[in-house]
Amino acid sequence: MAARTEAYVDTAALIAFADGSDSHHALFRRLFAQPPPLITTTLVVAEGHGWFLRRFDPARALQFLAMVEAMRPLRVAAVGLREQKAATLLLRRFADQALTLADAVGLHLMTARRVTSCWSTDRHMGLTGVPLVIHQH
Amino acid sequence: MIRTQISLSEQEYEAAKLEAERLGISLAELLRRSLRNMVPPGGEPPWMRFAAMLSSGNPHSSQQIDDVVYGRKD
Repeated sequence: MAARTEAYVDTAALIAFADGSDSHHALFRRLFAQPPPLITTTLVVAEGHGWFLRRFDPARALQFLAMVEAMRPLRVAAVGLREQKAATLLLRRFADQALTLADAVGLHLMTARRVTSCWSTDRHMGLTGVPLVIHQH
Repeated sequence: MIRTQISLSEQEYEAAKLEAERLGISLAELLRRSLRNMVPPGGEPPWMRFAAMLSSGNPHSSQQIDDVVYGRKD
């Protein structure tokens, strides 16, 4: 059996998994139940934490961090100046899109690591041609 | 059912006993429930306990993250 390839996890995937009301919840529940190796960034974790903090409260935001810690197949990649510079180039290339820096770093990471599947519900994450998992299932 | 022994600090024991009393269950049942929360049955990985940890009531919540985190544009 071929080894399962790495997938990139965007903030939207984590929220859809945690929020039972989200229309993509069932898909991400199924995907996270038997995940391949996963990668995300510290910016995604910060964005997710911010979402819980603003939408709910600090206790829920801490629960979100506990969820990320518990996801052992998920590697959280650090974001430094090099990644920021690469992401800035992408932000300039897609200047007509409302891309966040977190999105752009994710797009850069997927290109740099040749990731072939993006776990997101955000159409922006398909800008560089990596298929969104919601269109594959 | 398998019988086992565990050691707790006095503080942990008192806190657990109080919580069991509050819930109207035995100390053993409280410990079993705590364990089930940490290690879900049925071979599910531990992070699956966070699936649907909340219900926002919004079916589009994962597509509106930027509005919440960065604010909606006027």
